[in-house]
Amino acid sequence: MWRHGYDLSKETGLKSGTLYPLLMRLSEQGLLESRWQEPERSGLPPRHVYRLTATGLVLAREQELEAVAAERAGALA
Amino acid sequence: MNAAPGRSRRLAVTLARHAAWMLPSAPSSWAQAMRHELDYIADDSAALRWAFGCMLASYKARLTHWPRFSRWPAWRHVATSGALMLLIGLALQERAGGQTEPPRPGFDETTCDLPGVSPEIRPRLRCGTVSVPRNYDKPDAGRFKLAVVVIKSEQQPSWPEPVVYISGGPGFPLTVYAAHQARTPYAPRRDLILVDQRGTGKSEPDLCPDLAGKLLEAALAFAASATEEAFATRQATYLDCRDQAIGRGLDLRDFGTQVTAEDLEWVRKALQIERWNVYGESYGTTVAMTLVALHPDTVRTVILDSIYPPDPVPLWSTTVNDARAAFFANCARDNVCSMSFPNLAETYRETLARLDQKPLLVTVPPQMRQPDDRVMLTGSLFEAVVTNLLYYPTAYPDLPRVIQSVHDGEPQDLGQVLGPILAAQLATAATQNRATHAAVECRDRPHYRQDLPRQDLPADAQGLDRRQLYGVCARWSDVGPPPLVPAGTRVPTLVLAGQFDPVARPALSRHVADLIGGSARFVEFPLVGHNVRQFSACGAKIAADFIDHPAQKLDTSCTDRTSPIPFLPKRR
Repeated sequence: MWRHGYDLSKETGLKSGTLYPLLMRLSEQGLLESRWQEPERSGLPPRHVYRLTATGLVLAREQELEAVAAERAGALA
Repeated sequence: MNAAPGRSRRLAVTLARHAAWMLPSAPSSWAQAMRHELDYIADDSAALRWAFGCMLASYKARLTHWPRFSRWPAWRHVATSGALMLLIGLALQERAGGQTEPPRPGFDETTCDLPGVSPEIRPRLRCGTVSVPRNYDKPDAGRFKLAVVVIKSEQQPSWPEPVVYISGGPGFPLTVYAAHQARTPYAPRRDLILVDQRGTGKSEPDLCPDLAGKLLEAALAFAASATEEAFATRQATYLDCRDQAIGRGLDLRDFGTQVTAEDLEWVRKALQIERWNVYGESYGTTVAMTLVALHPDTVRTVILDSIYPPDPVPLWSTTVNDARAAFFANCARDNVCSMSFPNLAETYRETLARLDQKPLLVTVPPQMRQPDDRVMLTGSLFEAVVTNLLYYPTAYPDLPRVIQSVHDGEPQDLGQVLGPILAAQLATAATQNRATHAAVECRDRPHYRQDLPRQDLPADAQGLDRRQLYGVCARWSDVGPPPLVPAGTRVPTLVLAGQFDPVARPALSRHVADLIGGSARFVEFPLVGHNVRQFSACGAKIAADFIDHPAQKLDTSCTDRTSPIPFLPKRR
């Protein structure tokens, strides 16, 4: 699902100064894709939207699994 | 009427402009992204906080691009203080980078200037151009016009989701074959979209317009005789081409499979197609897979015919050895072939050794531009010839006899078989834009920057591998973003592979299908080489069925009814 920068900021609690460098790095690593979205109403400029690439999704899933595994390992220790 | 913006809003806009100006030039779309986002934040103080953060992000990005300075602690202090000082001067700072809006996708219709179009086909064609950004991260860096042909389905009305065919190469033209494509539909009732990829056919740019002949000539000379001198000439020609392209203002980083996939996405929008069916063949599968990975919601089905996966890929010589072994094993199982040529694999090995000892002088078609239309057939060249013949099922009946006759020092069969095939191949080879081939492959394939691993290769294999872009790419351009495999995609995917394919082995295609996951179905076609659909009616039928009914169980029974190869016996 495509997300806007400002929405991502509100959802993650990351300020734009932290969010954009992260988005740029993910994009450089091929984990995030971006595109221009047509203006929502006339008089507004096109808006950049983002989503994870297939590789990004796979990595996110792996990270999630690793986190679950680490949690389980912690519970068993 | 809009009220005049308040002080906070004006400062926010100024900060955002400064952020855009500070951002290194490469990710300029990010600068625009930050600035445009501001217009969607209604609250002025939130907008100001946002813009201030954007400015910090730009400084971070700028420092990251100057690693020497970023490691210097005193510089960090200077940068922070500098940022504050610049803040004060911002009210006067009106310099903002790149005001250009990203171009919008659009289709400019033109008249169709295509060869071989019959009066029946002409009304079904729509020709035109789509202007795409040269660099999707720099909307103001100029555009390339891409040639696009839409072939309306013979039966109207057509179904809403057309087929986009992505051809091989990279570097081959496509729209020039529109008449042929119109006669061989991929699926009934579906329009067909053809696009000349950037740098091919009628699409811009032409990287080295006056060097095409020299590049082909150098490649042919090297194919005929893989000497160090021919190798060096070929390299030098590529580097001349690179220098010319850069001299004409072209950026060789504007090539690669990801940008080609984005071009297709741009074309889809320009043609106002909601979703399409993607058919990738050979290198076209690289683009198709990347397109599905980047824009899965736009693809209804995808067919990957003879997969060329992203790096790492096996050495070509390894792939060819495997294909040849499969062919020889088929001969050994066939009554006629095994009786005439009892140990074809061994005969082949002996032939290479004999040719290396004593090359044969053979006549070749005039298109090869060899002195007196003759070349010295070495082991290396013969291996290249046999590899080429494995592409074409029409050559299979003759192949054992060709090997035997060369083995026996009587290459007349070679001339007879090779003449028409080589002539056709050369005609095709002449249409490939070799500069674009290098431009795409050098961005996509890190392995061409490595030295050719020679120590484990049989002597006869080196020529085959050396024909690729080793020695060219390191000085051509940087490696770009890699082609992608749509691992875990939900897009229904059909993978086709030919048993004797000398460049895309079925085992590798099956491996890619496994990576794609549960949405992929894999079908291997016996007694077929590269590009299944082109040479197999069974393959064409299965592909059409799949496009029409991707959720249904595939009927692949025609693969079991393949007739054996009508091998020609040994000449008496």
